[in-house]
Amino acid sequence: MPDPAMLLDVAGLHATIDSKEILKGVDMRIPHGEIHALMGPNGSGKSTLAYALTGHPKYQITAGSATLKGTDLLPLTADLRAQLGVFLSFQHPTAIPGVTMVNFLRAAMRSQGKELSAREFLTRLTYEMAELKMDESFRSRYINDGFSGGEKKRAEILQMALLQPQLAILDEPDSGLDVDALRIVADGVRRAVEGSAGKMGVLLITHYNRILEYLRPDTVHIFSAGRVVASGGPSLAKEIEAMGYEGLLGEVAPVSASA
Amino acid sequence: MTQEAVVSGIDSGVVATRAGASPTWLASRRRAAWEAFSTLPWPSSLRDEDWRRTDIAKLDPLRFDPDAGVSTELDSVIAATHDDIAAVAPDAAVIVCDHTGRVQLHNCDALTAQGVIVCSLSEAATRHRELVEQAFDTLPAGQQPLTALWNSLWRDGCFVYVPPSVAANQPVWVIHAAADDRTATFPATCCVLDANASLTLVELHVSPATAQAELLSDTVSHVVLNRNARLDYCVLQDLGQGVWHMATHRVSLEADAHLHFFGATLGSKLQKAYWEALLNGNGAEAHLAGIALAGDRQHLDHQSLQAHKGTDTTSRLLLKTAVRDHARSVYDGLIDVGRTAQRTDAYVQNRNLILSPDAKADSIPRLEIRAHDVRCGHGAAAGPVDDEQRFYLMARGIPAEIADRIIVRGFFEDALGQAPCPEFAALLGPLLDRRLDRILHIGRQES
Ligand SMILES: Nc1ncnc2c1ncn2[C@@H]1O[C@H](COP(=O)(O)OP(=O)(O)OP(=O)(O)O)[C@@H](O)[C@H]1O
Ligand SMILES: [Mg+2]
Repeated sequence: MPDPAMLLDVAGLHATIDSKEILKGVDMRIPHGEIHALMGPNGSGKSTLAYALTGHPKYQITAGSATLKGTDLLPLTADLRAQLGVFLSFQHPTAIPGVTMVNFLRAAMRSQGKELSAREFLTRLTYEMAELKMDESFRSRYINDGFSGGEKKRAEILQMALLQPQLAILDEPDSGLDVDALRIVADGVRRAVEGSAGKMGVLLITHYNRILEYLRPDTVHIFSAGRVVASGGPSLAKEIEAMGYEGLLGEVAPVSASA
Repeated sequence: MTQEAVVSGIDSGVVATRAGASPTWLASRRRAAWEAFSTLPWPSSLRDEDWRRTDIAKLDPLRFDPDAGVSTELDSVIAATHDDIAAVAPDAAVIVCDHTGRVQLHNCDALTAQGVIVCSLSEAATRHRELVEQAFDTLPAGQQPLTALWNSLWRDGCFVYVPPSVAANQPVWVIHAAADDRTATFPATCCVLDANASLTLVELHVSPATAQAELLSDTVSHVVLNRNARLDYCVLQDLGQGVWHMATHRVSLEADAHLHFFGATLGSKLQKAYWEALLNGNGAEAHLAGIALAGDRQHLDHQSLQAHKGTDTTSRLLLKTAVRDHARSVYDGLIDVGRTAQRTDAYVQNRNLILSPDAKADSIPRLEIRAHDVRCGHGAAAGPVDDEQRFYLMARGIPAEIADRIIVRGFFEDALGQAPCPEFAALLGPLLDRRLDRILHIGRQES
């Protein structure tokens, strides 16, 4: 039974793409206010999990459940999930030429019932962009069009900051960032969590311990071949860094599938 | 009104009446054009390359009424359009022309004070015959059935002449309005810029939005840019859903003349529009851009011509179209480089966004090059809305239809950015948004 007290409750989730099974029974529970890291080898299905939870139409869910505060996410289209408070920071954000960031952000906030007056919106936007050290010119640039890798990641965090989700799924927000940018992004995530009065949960997909040192996750999950195979404290991330997945997955006992 | 309708059609009697009211040179031109019309075969999608994808076999022009009168529908579409112009370009000179042949000039004093001639085309045909003939001569009157029909039957229209070295201090907006079932309208625009002159010209083709009224709109715009003249030229086609719209916009450019043309096609049931730039003089430059949006069963055909004759001429064309439902877009664009046109630099590009599985877009950009030292290219693309773009927006809470609207607007953006007249862009923006809402079935409360 899904636990309504739990922010995110994923149980036995299976998903396929083009009839190829990628997720093979994912179990994961994220309480309110917690940061959970998700680590795992390339191709293990981390981004697929992020897409499956946010409603990408390319993926078919074949079994299992996923609830946000007890609400079944799976029948909902992506826009409705976002309106419930699920946010995805994309590993590879798509460019949309011709659509300015400012128009897009306003449309997004309006869709989520978070519309501000033009003046309030600009004040908010200016503030959040300054926090993320983004140049004001990004406002009138087209969505992700010609953005560098690091600029795209900041723009994703900017959107999270403005939309104030319940659950932020951050798919490698740290990849390709220089050290200063990494701190800025991590600070952005921490501010969002703190600003939510300890309610926002984070599923942070990453390959690196570095961002975890800033963000101090409550739990680290290890993903392999489409499922969570181990969960533990932050020390797990350090062990991965030291030993690699192969070394570690040989040693750590997989979590039971019916957790 | 429940008066018994005795609708007259088009016949030689109407042409005789028109000729009788015209100066001699024009009368003989009308008669010759009617002669040509009567002998020319009607466009056939089997026989004529131009009409292969646009079938007007079912259009019988002769059953439309060329003498339709004034109506409240006509006057209200004029008033609404006039208000729209006033909202974005309060200082513009406005010429209102309609299917009855009325021509009203508004706010033209400043132009007149500069020596610019703004008047009805019938007046110009009498008082400025050489200028009108210079313009008319750029397009043979009897070569093609629709232009032949127009040449025999146009009732009245607008004429603008800018004298040498005069930069017109006001934009000229022309409203061509029509209304009512079975009306035939023949909008006429004639514009001559003398050497070193410049002007902004906006041409709006409008009729009530209803699909109930079936109209024939057959229009020709003759534009001549003499040496080093500069014209910013915008055309909007926002006719009702029951209109057959047949249009030729032909601009001739002499040496070093510059044209910036922008066309927006939103309306009509079926349109065939020729957008033509004849780069006759050395160093002439023509930049053409446009957008077209079609839904329901609309059929929009654009045929562009970039004809290079002079040396060192440049032309660009970008047309972006989006089609939905059962709508169809046909684009055929030719860059024609003559033997003498060395160092031509020309590009033609058409991109299509297909918004639903039954919508269709054909795109045939072509090059015909007879000079050896040229740089020419073409591009065409068609495809649906990108799934990843739609998902990206939806992942931010934006519903699918609104996501599509945002993506379509973004798709149009680079073409819109080339509209040479910001006031026109200001008029078009909200109109485009409303049309997108209708085509994407977005309720007003969500917009
Ligand atoms: N359209 C597709 N068709 C077939 N297989 C696919 C398709 N899309 C993704 N996959 C496969 O699904 C698997 C999981 O991919 P996913 O992107 O979820 O991995 P990941 O864990 O996020 O990897 P990374 O760490 O490299 O980002 C990969 O083997 C990938 O090749
Ligand atoms: Mg990934």
